[in-house]
Amino acid sequence: MTRGMIYKFLFILFIIVFSVALILPTVGEKRMQVSFFSDPGTELMQKFEKRFPADAYKIDKEGTSLIISGQNLTDAIMNEVRTYDGVRDAVFLKHWAEDYLLAKKINLGLDLQGGMHLVLQANFEKIEKKMGKPLSDSDKNEITQQALELLRNRIDKFGVSEPSIRPRGTEAIEIQMPGVKDPRGVKKAIGTTGRVEYRLVNDRYSKLATEWLPQNYKGKSLPEEKDDLENLLTDISTGIKLPDTLEVLYYYVREADTKKIVPSYPIILEKKVSIAGDDINKAWVGRDEYGGLAVHFTTTPEGATKFAEVTGQKNHGKRLAIVIDDKVRSAPSLNVQITSGQAMINGDFTQEEVQTLARIIKEGALPVDLRIIEERTVGPSLGQDSIEAGIKAIILGLAGVMAFMILYYKAAGIIADFGLVLNTIFMLALLSWMGFTLTLPGIAGFILTVGMAVDANVIIYERIKEEIRNGKSVRMSIVYGFERAFWTIFDSNLTTLIAAFILSQYGTGPIKGFAVTLFIGILSSMFVALFITRFFYEVISLNKKIKKLSI
Amino acid sequence: MLKSTIDFLKYRWIAIGFSLTLFIVFMTMTVYRGGINMGVDFVGGVKIIGKFSKGIDEGKIREVLKDYNPMIQQIGADDKYEYIISTKLKTDKETSEIESEKIKRTLAEKFQNVEFLSVENVGPAIGDFLKKSALKLFFVAIILMAVYLAFRFEFKYSIAAMAAIVHDITLCFMFCGFTGIEFSVPIVAALLTIFGYSMNDTIVIFDRIRENIQLQTKTNYLDLVNKSITQSLSRTLLTSLTTLFAVLALYLIGGEGINDFAQVLLFGIVIGTYSTVYLASPVLVAWERIRAR
Repeated sequence: MTRGMIYKFLFILFIIVFSVALILPTVGEKRMQVSFFSDPGTELMQKFEKRFPADAYKIDKEGTSLIISGQNLTDAIMNEVRTYDGVRDAVFLKHWAEDYLLAKKINLGLDLQGGMHLVLQANFEKIEKKMGKPLSDSDKNEITQQALELLRNRIDKFGVSEPSIRPRGTEAIEIQMPGVKDPRGVKKAIGTTGRVEYRLVNDRYSKLATEWLPQNYKGKSLPEEKDDLENLLTDISTGIKLPDTLEVLYYYVREADTKKIVPSYPIILEKKVSIAGDDINKAWVGRDEYGGLAVHFTTTPEGATKFAEVTGQKNHGKRLAIVIDDKVRSAPSLNVQITSGQAMINGDFTQEEVQTLARIIKEGALPVDLRIIEERTVGPSLGQDSIEAGIKAIILGLAGVMAFMILYYKAAGIIADFGLVLNTIFMLALLSWMGFTLTLPGIAGFILTVGMAVDANVIIYERIKEEIRNGKSVRMSIVYGFERAFWTIFDSNLTTLIAAFILSQYGTGPIKGFAVTLFIGILSSMFVALFITRFFYEVISLNKKIKKLSI
Repeated sequence: MLKSTIDFLKYRWIAIGFSLTLFIVFMTMTVYRGGINMGVDFVGGVKIIGKFSKGIDEGKIREVLKDYNPMIQQIGADDKYEYIISTKLKTDKETSEIESEKIKRTLAEKFQNVEFLSVENVGPAIGDFLKKSALKLFFVAIILMAVYLAFRFEFKYSIAAMAAIVHDITLCFMFCGFTGIEFSVPIVAALLTIFGYSMNDTIVIFDRIRENIQLQTKTNYLDLVNKSITQSLSRTLLTSLTTLFAVLALYLIGGEGINDFAQVLLFGIVIGTYSTVYLASPVLVAWERIRAR
């Protein structure tokens, strides 16, 4: 072997080992942690033992939670367990390969793991009526962004683990929620318009609440569970003996990395609403006199009177909280009396914060009416059925193609089959490593590429056979075979790549999943045939006396 | 294996006749069925998969939902009692959202143990959007491929390949009408895959033709094409066969969501292979002859 070939061999070996490690979190043993509201009773435990029989799974008790381990665990099963009564949450524990190697478990689409996909559209008719003129595209875009803010505010109270909320075009919003417990509740909450109000903060009691919390509540941060959060509110108000005219709410901030809106600390407000959301006329982002970012707004004539009253001398130094859907999102201090109906809020804002605030104020002024124009909900059990059927189909497809290749090409068929197995591993590795989502059509794409992946080998082998028939030596036939086949493979695969690429640009999730697997499958099959299989034949050609090739 | 050249092009008129007959048969059946069965994805509507308790059949569900005039179809094994219930929007005014909630409520009232495995409702705006982008998709795909082929080969190859593609896609589309397969977003994906697949097949043969032209210039073009097809024949058949195996696996056990998709693919792979040999190449020869005159 030449030095170059040894390097090649080491490179191939490295890629194989690395790919196998990458797919371990997907195909290897997985562990799921299930936590409960209270100690699980025998009935619930029996349910678990029945759902996870001992021959395929292992159930361990760890403190108050259960650890279920097994190879067949999937996101769909996790989502199913989450719907059990008494289960607080179920999460996968990280696989060692995820910690050491940037490996990731393959993402499953909502059609495989169960979940809800919604497309919402803002109803502009009402707003246009109120404004008395048709909206421009940028207005519509802004209103959609405003609705997006509202939805982020609203959705996380349903305990959805990783909701994805993003704009689709300028007029629609796409929401993906894996494993929703209560689809109807979510839809209802999304359909209602937001309620924005402005209420005075009571600083004295707010301070009491902040002091009360660390002494009486054990947790380091606020609880995550919705019910616990509510209970804590009652505990605080009895704890600090809150008068009837006041109320405790949480101050919410947006986490920079996850974009989730999370409670930060309790804050005490007057129950009386000082200014209603629709007392505001307009809001926009601008600058203050020092050049810092600020939200400007104007009020309606009625709003101006209320505003003049609340910003009066007696309230100077107090803060006015901006509350949306019972969440405090901002509480600027009042410094000057404003009678003109025009005011601004300034502070040490980032661009994103100031925009969010403007959108919240606008939401109060012009509530967005959201309509669900598309819904796709898949239950976790159907998702799990699809996963199982998909795995079976992949194995059957692989077995069929492999058997055929051996029957037809004998020893060369074994090499092609080895390539096929590698191709499958590479595809899975790439899919999970790059964080693509596997959908049901994606599995179809996977199987299709299993069939098409051997194409490159077939082209090469047929060419080698032809060269041998034409009387060339075995070694020369191999060299010519690979050389001549290269451009054929390149051209023919490129067209399929183009088709897959175009398809990946086509809207909806499941189809994108199909296109992505097809794309990756073709790339990896080209690599396997033109690099790895070729290497095998280079090694075979080292034997200078080779007379016959089993092909 | 094959030493002598097979005269494929001798059968080109028969092939064209065959394709036309197939088209007419599919067309007649499609018209007879009342057009292509456009799925909920494209026309808007509601599609619910429900699991019912033992003994509940199609008739009982239809009785309960008679106000909505739904299509009901059983899926999976008989003893699973799973049905697809779908309704399509009649006017633009209706919202699928409300109808879907009503249907679910009615079902839940009448059949206590019904479990909704999946719910889809698509508004008319989305259906329209999907339809438009699907058309755009094919348009872009055809142009890109044509440009690529014209760039890598010659213009005439591009024309011939496109003729074959249009033939394949049209027949596959009519195949949906013929079998009554619901035309949905996954079917669009299947058609595009067939697009890429048939193209792939055609290019392998064209590649061979190009190579042979460089080797021997004196032979008659028709013979040369025949020779190239013969040389690539075993590859064409082998790849079609392995792909068919894989899709067959999909068709047999892929489950409900994939069945129609696999069926269209099966047909498309066969038709794509056929068109490569009997259509793309004759068009190429015809083009060459017209130019020679």
